Amino acid sequence: MVVAFALLAAWELVTAAGVVAFRRPIYNALSLVANMLGLAILFLILNAQFLFAAQIIVYAGAVMVLFVFIIALLNPGLDLTLRRGSTEWIYGIVFGVVFAGLFGALLYNRGLSGRTGADTPEAISAIGSVQSIGVALYTKFLFPVEVTSILLLVAAVGAVYLAMRKAE
Amino acid sequence: MSIPAYSFLLLSGAIFTLGAVGFLIRRNPLVVFMCIELMLNAVNLAFAAMSRYLNSLDGVVFAFLVITVAAAEVVVGIAIIVQVYRAGREMDVDELDLMKN
Repeated sequence: MVVAFALLAAWELVTAAGVVAFRRPIYNALSLVANMLGLAILFLILNAQFLFAAQIIVYAGAVMVLFVFIIALLNPGLDLTLRRGSTEWIYGIVFGVVFAGLFGALLYNRGLSGRTGADTPEAISAIGSVQSIGVALYTKFLFPVEVTSILLLVAAVGAVYLAMRKAE
Repeated sequence: MSIPAYSFLLLSGAIFTLGAVGFLIRRNPLVVFMCIELMLNAVNLAFAAMSRYLNSLDGVVFAFLVITVAAAEVVVGIAIIVQVYRAGREMDVDELDLMKN
């Protein structure tokens, strides 16, 4: 298990660096597909089978197909990785200090202090992984689910409107 | 679980940092979008890890909602990028400053 996690972590870091560093957008997209598939296997290690399926269907299946399709349609050229003559490296240093501080705090305080819930792996496997998530979605999280459905409707209407509009 | 919880959090933080760096340094709007997806994925990993180690399904449900919101965001964002391309503008986030000032 530890070896599998180490291999997957290395895979995730390499493909994430590929998303940032490749200069051809199609390579970025394929690197992101590899990253998402590795993340799906990490969800499987974390006993989240529903997220595994959702990750592959929604991200690797739908979102990345859309990305690759748009890249093939627009055919964007190479772009330079760094912006020219700008002061954005200051943001880079700020980000670096903040994230280094977060990592340091995480390594310093390794214990989990959160209150544990009742959904142990045994309790979940007793009623089924997907069933227990469905119960949580439609009882405890009913309002967020409804809000998300409205958001999806708005996004669909907006995308159709943008696609129909003629460029001036 | 033989893997300690903070290893998942460290991996999640590292992927998030890479996504943030890419968001700041890349200029192609499509690649900037991919870096946003990378950051959302890193947050999902942290949610799933905490859900597993704290024996609570809330993190999994939240990660599912994040996936849904990310899909909606990609749809609208790519529609806008296609509109920009159809208007004949250059595919460069530094050049698209019409709404600046």
